[in-house]
Amino acid sequence: MTSWRPTPALVRACLLTLGGVTGGVVLGQEVLVVLAAPFAVLAVMGLVARPRTAPRVSAQLDHVRLHEGQSTTSRLAIDDLEGVEHVTRVAFEAPHVATQPAYGAAGALVEADLPTIVFSPRRWGRRAVGAERVALTSAWAGWVWGPLDLPERGFNVLPQTAPYDTRAEVPQPDGLVGRHRSRRIGSGTEFEGIRPFATGDRLKRITWPVSLRTGELHVITTRAEQDAGVWLVLDGLGDMGVSGGIDGAASTLDLTVRAASALAEHHIRTGDRVGMLVVSADGTRVPLGSGARHLQRLQGTLARVRAEARGVAPERLDLGAGAGSVVYVLSPMFFTPLVTATATLQRGGGSVVVIDTIGDAVAARDGDPRELASLAARMQKIERDDRLQRLAGLGTPVVPWRGPGTLDTVLQQLARRGRAPRVRA
Amino acid sequence: MATTGGLIAPGTTRAVVVLRVLVVALPCVALALAIPEVPHWFVLVAVPLSAAAWARVPDHAVGIVPLVLVAGWWASRGVVDWRVLVVAVLLLAAHLSAVMLSYGPGALPVDRGLVRLWLRRGLLALVPALVAWVSVRGIDPSLAPPWLWLTTASMTAVVLLVTARLTRSDAR
Repeated sequence: MTSWRPTPALVRACLLTLGGVTGGVVLGQEVLVVLAAPFAVLAVMGLVARPRTAPRVSAQLDHVRLHEGQSTTSRLAIDDLEGVEHVTRVAFEAPHVATQPAYGAAGALVEADLPTIVFSPRRWGRRAVGAERVALTSAWAGWVWGPLDLPERGFNVLPQTAPYDTRAEVPQPDGLVGRHRSRRIGSGTEFEGIRPFATGDRLKRITWPVSLRTGELHVITTRAEQDAGVWLVLDGLGDMGVSGGIDGAASTLDLTVRAASALAEHHIRTGDRVGMLVVSADGTRVPLGSGARHLQRLQGTLARVRAEARGVAPERLDLGAGAGSVVYVLSPMFFTPLVTATATLQRGGGSVVVIDTIGDAVAARDGDPRELASLAARMQKIERDDRLQRLAGLGTPVVPWRGPGTLDTVLQQLARRGRAPRVRA
Repeated sequence: MATTGGLIAPGTTRAVVVLRVLVVALPCVALALAIPEVPHWFVLVAVPLSAAAWARVPDHAVGIVPLVLVAGWWASRGVVDWRVLVVAVLLLAAHLSAVMLSYGPGALPVDRGLVRLWLRRGLLALVPALVAWVSVRGIDPSLAPPWLWLTTASMTAVVLLVTARLTRSDAR
């Protein structure tokens, strides 16, 4: 049980005072009386200022939902501050969590304000913040309460919402309503053409200038506008490279998760339905959905992707996706079974795009090229390049993730391919 | 506040370093005031060493050692001159530096308001020292009646007991 304890400073002052007075009286040492006199004030005032309360201390975070790079303030709540003069807080160090003040130590006089600590997770994933020690000190530094350990609070830090936008349309929209131009004629706003009036046409579609010029009723036809099904397939089988958080280098899983987050946000904003499949030991599948709540679900799933998890790549990707869905496979493509599964998906008639998320994780090593690690890295790179070439040969576009505009060209090519007539065998 | 590198732990602020230097230096300066008189070799060795240990862990019981050694050595001289008053100031300053350090770890920035507060308190604490110094120099103890010494000794014992009672921890 925590209680008010005398500080070493008070004990020191008391001992010096009593020793000085005793020495002065018993031994007749006048010098001791002079030297002990200042400590008598500190001792008496410290003793008198003893608090009689039993304060309850807790801390609360301003936010419980954060993206990496964002910050939240931890505020202290003390129910009874009577007799308390100074409050000290020291936060425990946590991986990928920055604090303000640096090193997590904050202190202040109670009359000013209670000290606050700002926590800022620097990487997505499960993070624990808020573990700290708190000590209360009475007036004249005579008594101390604590240090008291406050528990940590864990929450999922969502990946950064990287700026991403694309002007390209998804190749084969297949939904009912949305912002993508359909190949079918319907009741949209996108102009398709003008044709003679037929029975059943709406009167408001009649174009009077053309009708008057030609002497026959003509109507404007438009294209339907549809949404699209977008699947995000994440490779969570491994994490290569070192993650320095949002301020440093990005590992392959960092790039994968951040790219998926950006794509999900973009497509949800566009009105598309987005689903997700995380390929890992504890693989997760989020069915197609749309709206802000679904985006939160997707980001929450991304935040729970474990970098440590080592799973077995599946032989085929079971998305349950319709033919019109677009599938983004985000992976550094180090595992052959995942490449095979991607190729199988492509053969099934879907629009598959592989987004290469290797980034700078496997950069050229300095030093002796004959070193074993360097040799292994080169061999791995050669194998990976071979896999990607074979995928490209099958007609699956492979693009490195570069943020905004990454998919513009690829999606336009896929859309053109989708419009081309097909010959059935 | 700027931090220093090298021998000092990461995050230690300059103000903390200054205070630690004061904790080490002030007892040594208090001893050096006696020059050309040279203290016993044990005092010469023990004061800097214990002061250094005190500066490293400001809220440790070792902090009383340099103060007692310096005060004891000056008491052994038995001369109440102006230097005793300076020694009292130096020992009090060392104690207050340690108090300010003991509020938290080295990474804790030293609050300016706290420094001002302890500066005021330090000046207040020096008043009894000045009064005691003047009294000791101006009053002849041989003129005091015998009961005064008995009363003072009894009061000292009572104060000792009260202090021991007050500083007893409530923790079971």
